[in-house]
Amino acid sequence: MLSSFVVAWRQLSYHRMKLAVASAGVLVAVMLMLVQLGIRQGAMDNSVAIARRVTADLVVVSPRTRTIFQSSQLPRRLLFRVGAHPEVDAIQEMYMGQARWRNPWELREHPIAVFGVDPRSPLINFRGLSELADELMLADRVVFDGLSRKSYGPVVAHLANHDFLETEMNLHRVRVIATINVGVSITGDGNVFMSPANFRRIFPQRPAGSVDLGLIRLKPGSDVEQVKRDLAPLLGAEATIITREELIDKEIAFVRESAPIDFIFGMGAAVGFFIGFVVVYQILYTEVTNHLPQFATLKAMGFSDNKLLQIVLSQGVILSVLGYVPGFVMALWVYEIATDAIQMPFSMTWQRALAVFSLTLVMCLLSAMIAIQKVRTVDPADVF
Amino acid sequence: MIISARNLNFAFGEGDLRKQILFDVSFDVAPGEVVLLTGPSGSGKTTLLTLIGGLRRTTEGEMTVLSRPMHHARKEDLVANRRDIGFIFQQHNLLEFLSAQKNVELMFQLHPEVPAGEARARSAEMLTKVGLGNRLDYHPSRLSGGQKQRVAIARALVTRPQLILADEPTAALDSHSGRDVVELLQSLARDRGCPILMVTHDNRVLDIADRVLSMEDGRLEESRGTEARGETETQ
Repeated sequence: MLSSFVVAWRQLSYHRMKLAVASAGVLVAVMLMLVQLGIRQGAMDNSVAIARRVTADLVVVSPRTRTIFQSSQLPRRLLFRVGAHPEVDAIQEMYMGQARWRNPWELREHPIAVFGVDPRSPLINFRGLSELADELMLADRVVFDGLSRKSYGPVVAHLANHDFLETEMNLHRVRVIATINVGVSITGDGNVFMSPANFRRIFPQRPAGSVDLGLIRLKPGSDVEQVKRDLAPLLGAEATIITREELIDKEIAFVRESAPIDFIFGMGAAVGFFIGFVVVYQILYTEVTNHLPQFATLKAMGFSDNKLLQIVLSQGVILSVLGYVPGFVMALWVYEIATDAIQMPFSMTWQRALAVFSLTLVMCLLSAMIAIQKVRTVDPADVF
Repeated sequence: MIISARNLNFAFGEGDLRKQILFDVSFDVAPGEVVLLTGPSGSGKTTLLTLIGGLRRTTEGEMTVLSRPMHHARKEDLVANRRDIGFIFQQHNLLEFLSAQKNVELMFQLHPEVPAGEARARSAEMLTKVGLGNRLDYHPSRLSGGQKQRVAIARALVTRPQLILADEPTAALDSHSGRDVVELLQSLARDRGCPILMVTHDNRVLDIADRVLSMEDGRLEESRGTEARGETETQ
């Protein structure tokens, strides 16, 4: 038997140009959806990347802090109180701020994020930092993030041929001794890492006794929630103690409410869906309308509405696949370009690939179902 | 009887707009008969054909087609009944994106019990019988009007229907190919004893009929036939 699927394919492929246009419409829709949802995920991931890097079990923050990127400081003396708890293994202070980095090639200044943390065994995952600890303990030695944007100058290329690079941060001479790869976020263009002592030299106006974060590592096997409850009263109203997971959730919530990421990129994806829907509907509708006498004839001969629906639905499935495959490949290409252009990594996840394929299928089947309505209402007696 | 109609009335519209098309029509078609239905435009021939084909519902009077009562039948029964009937229309309405053979083969979607291989073989065989054995892979755009109508005949006959309903199959053809098509239809139907009811305007083909029914203003009368068989109600 000649299957509905074969009939569907013959009808679609009979006019190559129409098939190309319909597939291109689906392709654009698929690409838009994948890219928009990819950037949304990338922006979200990048905004919380620093919080995710924290390896401490508990984190002390100021109760005024909404996000660690704009943190209020808390008195360092509070951190000395928690060391008395038997389960606490290590306590570290962490400093964050924004300095003016002077691009030594064009001699202009650009804002850059600065992190001050003990480089010997940081309770935050800055890979490669502890290997440079000995030199970083010296005055005015800093490490540059190799994934920073290009506005800071060709630092990585320079360090490949030279031992160090000298420049200014906040009008203070510093020596960049190496680069490590951490990655920037949508809230900053570049990162510099150094010891707490050097951080205070770059920000001399900041009170010496105030820190941005307290990082606490517990002994293996400790009950994190219990220790958190034990420590909270010791800190009083001047600081809050939260777990690593709570810190990440807090950062995600901040990004969600402060930047309309979901809305902007969700909207972009919805526009993609709509474009695809309209193009597919238009093509299938004209196909159905052009063949109305033929479809009415088939109905007169005993074809049910569902048999004809099968043909048009099959066309929807064919168009989804024909548009999805090149759309997927193009989205991968756009991810690569975007990663390069804004130095924020995007990656394809199979969940997203699957979700967008389902959306594409829904989009095409929905258009097919609406396009076939006219055949349902046609009276087969009219072909006589 | 293949078709048995008694006192059919049929009207379009309701109330003031009601227009009666058929008046007290009664007739029978016996197995193997070739019956022509003639008459001027608007006399109700095509309406009668659509009632027999189950494309419209019989509302007044009684009609049995292929032993199934058509009066007050459900829509699904009407659709099922159509699958045992071979239809040939004035316009062939072939799908232009399918080859001649695929257009014929498509009909087996209504008969999924026939295996794919057999469907293909029977389609090719039927097209050969209508003289298109060397045009199996041609798309309709590369066939002449007469050839397209012959594909339509093959399409109507390939599933071995028990009745053929044809609505002016020669209307779009010149006299020569019209004659060919009708003779072909007649001989194929005769071979299998399949009755034909054909609506036609075309006086040149009247001689192939066993019986000719003519209609005027919605009433039926038997005019002439080469070999009268069965009973006919005369108004």
